[in-house]
Amino acid sequence: MKQDYFSANNIKYIDYKDVEILKKFLNPNGKIMSHKRTGITAKNQRQLASAIKHARFLGLLPFIVK
Amino acid sequence: MQEPEIKDENEISEENSKVYELGYLLIPTIKEEDAPVNYGNLKELLVSFNGEIISGEMPKMTSLAYSMAKVTSNIKNKFNTAYFGWIKFTMNSQKVLELKKHLDLDPNIIRFLILKTIKENTIATKRFARGEMYKRPAMKENAKNETAIPINKEEIDKEIDALVIS
Repeated sequence: MKQDYFSANNIKYIDYKDVEILKKFLNPNGKIMSHKRTGITAKNQRQLASAIKHARFLGLLPFIVK
Repeated sequence: MQEPEIKDENEISEENSKVYELGYLLIPTIKEEDAPVNYGNLKELLVSFNGEIISGEMPKMTSLAYSMAKVTSNIKNKFNTAYFGWIKFTMNSQKVLELKKHLDLDPNIIRFLILKTIKENTIATKRFARGEMYKRPAMKENAKNETAIPINKEEIDKEIDALVIS
């Protein structure tokens, strides 16, 4: 992904309930992908990280995949 | 100290209200028919705290990504499924603290999360975002397959010839 995914799809607020979108940015172990891999802007990367963490807290995403 | 606090509350309730979102997990032992009742109770609770409801979704049964525990009357209960629901509302920022304390004591809620958010709907963008992502790779794969097949045939012929000769 070279272009910013969220600005390409006109997403201004990254919601923790959009699990399908958030899953794109997890690696097979359930870890958050790095800036380098996602290619999204720094601002969005920060929003993404907190959205994923909120989703994890409410059991929508796993903390770890064995 | 008490007098200014009371004044503040009255002023803040009109000016200082912010948009919040409450996401929560209800215990799975509730019957499916009673889940909407819980949703209604939560709405009433928010209104009683001078909250104004913007939008929300009914609690739905979901399987949790990991098992959660909740201690009720000294018994540790583990849950692998729960009803997940959310409500978006505007509320005075000081009232939210009271709401949080109130929800902490609710026996039907496994966990909840109160976040600051924006008024606009944040989920609707999901559909076309998916569509775009799926179309692009499909087109490329088809194009590759069409060109790749004739090349393969020639290569295979050559290889067979080479084998026959040797």
